[in-house]
Amino acid sequence: MALVAAPEILSPYYRSLALAILADVALAVSWAFFSGPSRYLSLATGAFFGAGAYVTAIAGARLPWPLPVLGGALIGCAMALVVGALALRLRGPYFAVFTFGLAELAKHSLIWYETGVTGTVGRLILAPPGPWTLYYTVLCLAGLAVLTALLLRRSRWGYALAGIGADEERAETLGIDTTRVKIGTFALSAAFMGAVGAAMAPRWTYLDPQVFNPFVSFQTVIMALLGGATTVAGPIIGAVFLGLASEILLLKFRYFYMLGLGLTLIVVVLALPSGLSGLAARLRASPSPLPRPQP
Amino acid sequence: MTMKRREFLTTSAGGAAALTVLRGKAWGQAKPVKVGYTLSGTGPYSVGAGITQGPNYTLWQEQVNAKGGLLVKGEGRRPIEFISIDDRSEHETAVRFYEKLMTDDKVDLILPPWGTAMNFAVAPVANKYGYPMLGPTAVSNKLKELSLPYFYALLAQPDPIMEAFVGLLKDLKAQGKISKIGLAYVNDLFGIELYNSATPHLKQAGLDVVDTKSYPLGAKDLSPILKGFKAAGADVFLGLTYPPDNILATTQAKEVDWNPAVFLTAVGTAFPFYRDRFKGADGVMGIAGWNPKVKIAGAREYFDAHVKKHQKEPDRWASAFAYASLQILERCVGEVGLDRKKIKEMLDSTEFQTVGGPIKFVKGMNVSTPGMVGQWQKGEFEILWPKSRATGTPVVPKPAWA
Repeated sequence: MALVAAPEILSPYYRSLALAILADVALAVSWAFFSGPSRYLSLATGAFFGAGAYVTAIAGARLPWPLPVLGGALIGCAMALVVGALALRLRGPYFAVFTFGLAELAKHSLIWYETGVTGTVGRLILAPPGPWTLYYTVLCLAGLAVLTALLLRRSRWGYALAGIGADEERAETLGIDTTRVKIGTFALSAAFMGAVGAAMAPRWTYLDPQVFNPFVSFQTVIMALLGGATTVAGPIIGAVFLGLASEILLLKFRYFYMLGLGLTLIVVVLALPSGLSGLAARLRASPSPLPRPQP
Repeated sequence: MTMKRREFLTTSAGGAAALTVLRGKAWGQAKPVKVGYTLSGTGPYSVGAGITQGPNYTLWQEQVNAKGGLLVKGEGRRPIEFISIDDRSEHETAVRFYEKLMTDDKVDLILPPWGTAMNFAVAPVANKYGYPMLGPTAVSNKLKELSLPYFYALLAQPDPIMEAFVGLLKDLKAQGKISKIGLAYVNDLFGIELYNSATPHLKQAGLDVVDTKSYPLGAKDLSPILKGFKAAGADVFLGLTYPPDNILATTQAKEVDWNPAVFLTAVGTAFPFYRDRFKGADGVMGIAGWNPKVKIAGAREYFDAHVKKHQKEPDRWASAFAYASLQILERCVGEVGLDRKKIKEMLDSTEFQTVGGPIKFVKGMNVSTPGMVGQWQKGEFEILWPKSRATGTPVVPKPAWA
């Protein structure tokens, strides 16, 4: 409720901060509902996000909002179907490397297309929707991503995905159509990533192929792992924690924030292998045998 | 949870505000003029930001505060206080922080971030809140399409730059010093816009382009292109480059033993570190805008002050215009105060005298500064073209690589 009413009471800056964090929540949750249970480490987030952003850049002026967001979802989905059919036979690091290359491939294909066909690189988004429209769009996407993750967990489809993550051969032997389950979930997660890209693009007015940024892919993985990739709450906690921590460090310790962020990450990963949500679960489940620090 | 987060952030903001007050007290009675900006301290934009904008911002602040502060009409001198943040070379972060500066910190003035894409991202925000933004590192034909009344561009744009390039080449051809051009451009907005401007100008000037090649941003090997130009007998290398590929092309031209009569590249050539890296880079030409020898009042003093404060020279293209943008703001505030609407009116109607020469804006574009070509000669980047701005004459053919 507070998040729905937020734009009414927040200043533009805090609204933007909330918007950026919600976008990260949507990315991290949609990444985790595929990669968490299936254990396929995808680094394609940047590619789907960038493709979605480009949909807004190309079609945004002609289509009423939120159609570009829908377009972003479709293009992300379509890319994932093609890539999934090719790459989901790859296991472990090979899949990660392949998906990482996807963002570069998309970037250079786009440069080739833009220079060859349109004769320029870089596009302006001249009539962006208002900031509140963007905020609610991203809020909806984040909400939908969480809902999808929750439903998926409790469905046969979700169990099948977890089964694939535990042992793919066994899952196949048990009669699960592993290819369909993997590609389907991968495409669904990519649809969210494309939609988030499309929804965020109007913020920057100008877009060029550099929007296919590998950093987006890594950041998403870090947020999800930080919070705990196998739960629904984990990626949300990770995205909110990382978003707030980096913002505060950046504002207060301009020259040391990278150091601070790096140290925070190392500590969390070393101390909490199952992420921040794992910590919460552990505290709830059993009183720790170690003496708790006194407040 | 939302409440807690907000409380926490409000507390942080309160702390920052308290600090501001304390600092203001230290200056005496006058309340500081708050000037906000983001520059990239990390990420790909940090190199350019650290050469062209950052040093000029801090130099100007130090100089003005040494005089007792920024003269505000009707209020006397008030010290300048910067509120600056590292935008991490991320557009989203920059947009958000400018919103913070203008709506939360309520700064009096803003300075721009570094680079064309960043200016594109931030200019609409500045426009929305009515903050004049004078961009010294924004170069694109698309700036006009934006039509943001509060945005001002100081540098010569792609078309005037190409006019200068082709003007010089045409002159050299008329003297019989060159005949064939090999043209390479980086496949990014800037390179492509320069290329699109170059084609009609070259054709009109009757210059013979024997080969044209493009390459992606971040290319790691340009030697095949250079070898191709050499084999085609080109005696002009026209490289519409960014700094990394500029460095690469220069290094590799020497490696493939190609020393064309004219070696003309775009961004990066005017940086002093380019000269130092290539042992003087004697004879290399590039986009120019300024050097300490120009006959402009204050130019030499600016150069000396920059070297004294930062122990490094300003670059020979945009640095002086970054400083000029601050001089312009200073004059406006002195004459009309901190009312940003009045500042805008003054920006639209006045010709300013700066260390970069006279500057006059028409529809937000500086129409007084032409595109220029320079050449490294014995440690200085001499301006060769247009002749009205020249500080030296072309050395063609260029000397052998050092």
